[in-house]
Amino acid sequence: MPDSQKRLGPLFWICLGFIGLVVFGAIFANVLPLPNPDAQNYAAVNAGPSLHHLLGTDDLGRDLLSRIVFGSRVSLVVGFGGIAIGLAIGGTLGLVAGYRSGALDTVLNAGSFVILAFPPLLAIIVIVAFWGRSLPKLTLIIGIASIPSMFRVIRATTMSYANRDFVVAARALGASNRRIIFRELLPNVAPAAISFALIGVAIIVVLEGSLAFLGLSVALPTPSWGNIIYEGASNNNLQTNPFIALWPALAMFLLLTSLNLVGDRLRSYFDVREGGL
Amino acid sequence: MPASQERFDRRRFLSGGARTVAAAALGGVGAPLLLSDCSSAPGRAVATPGVSRAAPRRGGSVKIGMNSEIDGFSPFSDNWDNTGLTYANTVYDTLTAIAADGSAQPYLAESVTPNGDYSVWTITLRPDVFFHDGTPLDAGVLVANFEAFKASPLTGQALAPVLSARRTGHLVVEMVCSQPLVPFPYYLSTQVGVVVAPSMIDPPAGTSPKPVGTGPFVYEDWVPNSHFSATRNPRYWRPGLPYLDSVTYFPIADDGARLESLQSGSVDLMISTNPSAVTTLRSNPAYQLVDTIHHHLGEPDMDFIMLNTAVAPTDDPEVRLALAKAIDYEAIVELFGGGLTQPSSGLFPPGSIYYAPSSYPTYDLAGARALVDKARSRHGGAISLDLGTIPDPRDVQATQAIQSMWEKAGFSVTLSQTDQATFIENALEGKFHAYTWEQFSAPDPDLNYPWWSTTTVGPVGGISLNFARNYDPEIQAALEEGREHANPATRIAAYRRVNERLALDLPYLWLARTIWSAGANDSVMNFSNPTLPSGQPAEGFSGGVLDPTPIWLRA
Amino acid sequence: MLGEPVLKYLITRLVQLVAVVFVISVLAFLLVHLLPGDPSVTILGPFDTAAARAEVLRQLGLDKPLPLQYLTWLGNVLHGNLGESFLTKESVSHAIAQAFPIDLELVVLSQIIAFAVAIPLAMVAARRPNKAFDRLSSTFTFGLLSVPAFILAVLLVLVFAVSIHAFPATGWTNLTSNLGQNLRSAILPSIALGAGSVAVYFRLLRSDLISTLQEDYITMARAKGLPTRYILFRHALRPSSFSLLASAGINIGSLLTGAFVVEYLFQLPGIGYQIVESISSRDYLMVQGMALVVAVAFVVVNFAVDFLLVLLDPRIRRA
Repeated sequence: MPDSQKRLGPLFWICLGFIGLVVFGAIFANVLPLPNPDAQNYAAVNAGPSLHHLLGTDDLGRDLLSRIVFGSRVSLVVGFGGIAIGLAIGGTLGLVAGYRSGALDTVLNAGSFVILAFPPLLAIIVIVAFWGRSLPKLTLIIGIASIPSMFRVIRATTMSYANRDFVVAARALGASNRRIIFRELLPNVAPAAISFALIGVAIIVVLEGSLAFLGLSVALPTPSWGNIIYEGASNNNLQTNPFIALWPALAMFLLLTSLNLVGDRLRSYFDVREGGL
Repeated sequence: MPASQERFDRRRFLSGGARTVAAAALGGVGAPLLLSDCSSAPGRAVATPGVSRAAPRRGGSVKIGMNSEIDGFSPFSDNWDNTGLTYANTVYDTLTAIAADGSAQPYLAESVTPNGDYSVWTITLRPDVFFHDGTPLDAGVLVANFEAFKASPLTGQALAPVLSARRTGHLVVEMVCSQPLVPFPYYLSTQVGVVVAPSMIDPPAGTSPKPVGTGPFVYEDWVPNSHFSATRNPRYWRPGLPYLDSVTYFPIADDGARLESLQSGSVDLMISTNPSAVTTLRSNPAYQLVDTIHHHLGEPDMDFIMLNTAVAPTDDPEVRLALAKAIDYEAIVELFGGGLTQPSSGLFPPGSIYYAPSSYPTYDLAGARALVDKARSRHGGAISLDLGTIPDPRDVQATQAIQSMWEKAGFSVTLSQTDQATFIENALEGKFHAYTWEQFSAPDPDLNYPWWSTTTVGPVGGISLNFARNYDPEIQAALEEGREHANPATRIAAYRRVNERLALDLPYLWLARTIWSAGANDSVMNFSNPTLPSGQPAEGFSGGVLDPTPIWLRA
Repeated sequence: MLGEPVLKYLITRLVQLVAVVFVISVLAFLLVHLLPGDPSVTILGPFDTAAARAEVLRQLGLDKPLPLQYLTWLGNVLHGNLGESFLTKESVSHAIAQAFPIDLELVVLSQIIAFAVAIPLAMVAARRPNKAFDRLSSTFTFGLLSVPAFILAVLLVLVFAVSIHAFPATGWTNLTSNLGQNLRSAILPSIALGAGSVAVYFRLLRSDLISTLQEDYITMARAKGLPTRYILFRHALRPSSFSLLASAGINIGSLLTGAFVVEYLFQLPGIGYQIVESISSRDYLMVQGMALVVAVAFVVVNFAVDFLLVLLDPRIRRA
């Protein structure tokens, strides 16, 4: 439980604010006063920042700020959506397995161990190449890939609480397993889950970018941060207009820093131990 | 053993490479060996870039950055693009080569002569030519090579009109054709003109044949996706050649990275189709640059959108016309051609003997809109189509621009990016509406016969070498005329007719000519100055194909 | 030397390892069968006859049921035969032998760079915790944690290759052919790969050092008048180096796949690059063989590190 001596600090709130800003932009991109992210203007190709284009334009004369704001949708949907899938399935299994132990736990634990032993990026590349790369598919594939690690995190955290006095007491009072898991364990496990989930989102945002560089993120012209950075880094754009890559790279850097810092601070705030992972 | 050919260039997949090269694929006759007008960039002090009149220096090693990787060295089973043909120039020789005037002249052959009606060709080989393994080159080896080409599904198509080869002397082979085949000597300058040692023709099962040719360099090692190196052939049949001790090629798919490799010194010479290579290097006196901007012999590589004329909605001629009119060609050339070239109205550039103005549509947005409206009422709804490409950044960028232009005209356009292997299968089987494509580079238009002929049109779902499935008997008649008539004026008229019919049928929407460039640091001499055995100049760098034979290194 | 509990542990883990490797081989095998397209088209090209295609499939055993195919493949693998590339006819094991040293060098070099940055930073920072230098280096390394390899690669190429032409943007020179050129070609990719590790090592070492410096024996050493630098090296760094190495070991698995993207960005012909290329050209046996090697390397390295830790510090077993 929160230690009264610990503070989250102003940086935490700044970072949380930045995450909020990105989420806000992604949700309201359509109503914000932004140019169409796909509108091409060949008269203003590779333009520098101006009142019309606050961050300038890319090599097809599209507004970079608008593409970055719209592109955040892909990164956020894949990131948060993927983790939500991982948490919903892996987290639930982890809670149950961590509490019940026994044969189920042994099987699930061994299973997750084996799957984690397989390089995830390799599996994701092959499956995306095989199955396609629409946003829902990407989210699902990455979400499923995150199940074993979310399982292990939640299982380990649950185990550290499973034999605490309050759980033992609840059991002695005849509480059902379901009640113990959801009423007693879940509230204690949740802070750890959230902090790991945020760091997981950061990992997935990076993964989307890596896939874009392999040509396997969502199909253009749909912007994603990975796609824009990749476009900016190819076609000699680094030599002619490095800002196409630099602006979205900066946005991604800030988002990742924010996610990592918020996750990190939450973890120490709630005194989540990493042992047993 | 036949091998893969569905790969026009597999390194392009997922990567920052050049555009879809279909040119070299399939049949091995698509790309020229040596053909170009190696033009100098404006304002350069050097007399002719890539050409040196100074006394060559012997020795040294050159590192060359190529745009793609090959499948292998077998001319029978491997599908060579410009990189494959460059490697072939390194370890093999072709029977003929293209002279500076664009004609095909004897090279490894001493002479290539027709009978009266051009239906029987007699090839006489040079005496005392040996393969790298010491085997002598003679008529028997040539016949064995021919039979291997005929038997291969990859190259058999290209040699379809050549029926048989017969040894008529120690060094003499007679080739009999099914019809007069006037451009036959040009065939011998391409992949099917390569002659390999007997050991490569029937390799033991389960082994990959190492290249054994008669060429200027001897195979040293090849690590796919890493490098290919070869050392000087001390017994080369052309006296005094080559000059270099060794040459090493590095496949670097990404255009920008290849240019950076030249700038950072990891390669001495590199080739590119990216206009930024030209714009970057020509302003810098530390580099030499040869490009094909003013190339006008034969047929250049074309960048175009290929439309499937056998499936809806692109089977509708008015839809194709609307698509053609909706493209802002000037903007495309400016955006993707670096402003180096002009919009094309057909296969041949101004300056070519085959060039004539055509009826190819110009940019006309209002006209396109009117046609789309008409088509809408006829088809009872929106006209939707998919524009496909491989996941190559430049292609993807181009398709985004074209998508936006077509949507302005009222089309509903989706973009798809498909990996190279599937992309080519889809093209062959007609499973596409519109694909970005790059093809048709050839020293003689007849070499493109298989792509335009009615005889190669297949049904959707079956294999069709005429990818666009454009069935036009007038084109077929003109192709036959060009193939059979020796009179240059008749041939010119025939291919102008092909060009005009293509402008009316609109299976291909011409975007621009591909501009190839070769950039080198200032120590690489003479990299675009090959010669024929007679001493006459051969055509320099074109179509992305280099010849390492004349290259030497400045002290 | 090995005590009985350690031996027992080793045997249990070895049995686990074999089981995991078996499952991984099944996964690697099945994964490739997910890829669309007909391998006979990859081999013969699209023009050949249906009969020729069926013949190729028969020769490769691809007309048999999957379990049988798997057993045949496994049998060949156990005999060291991973087959040959459909495209280049190169033997897969030869291709792996060419490519794997590149991954290995990248991983090792990236870790050397990470240590070279993290250790001095952490040592200086730990001397005065929460002072300016500590905060600055903590922030710096935390920032590094948020720079994906592809962004760092883009920045490095922009600065060192495009602007000042100091290092090649792409390409690889083999260690054996030219050491200087080899290091030049390896340095940017290694930095891109290793940056994330800097943050991990820095944090670990810093907190380790801070707690060690509070131990009694350090206070004693200080009281004896030993210089702080000496104490840091002799009494603090040494005990910490163990956990540092452990974390490096655990890292190596993920670095191997991290190298995928870096290799692709810098176009280095390592395993990652070759796998991505082979997937695109449907070069099944190549993908299969390389996936197997990467996955097995991943597991074996993790196992070896694990076991080494147990050997050095049996307490871990109970944790």
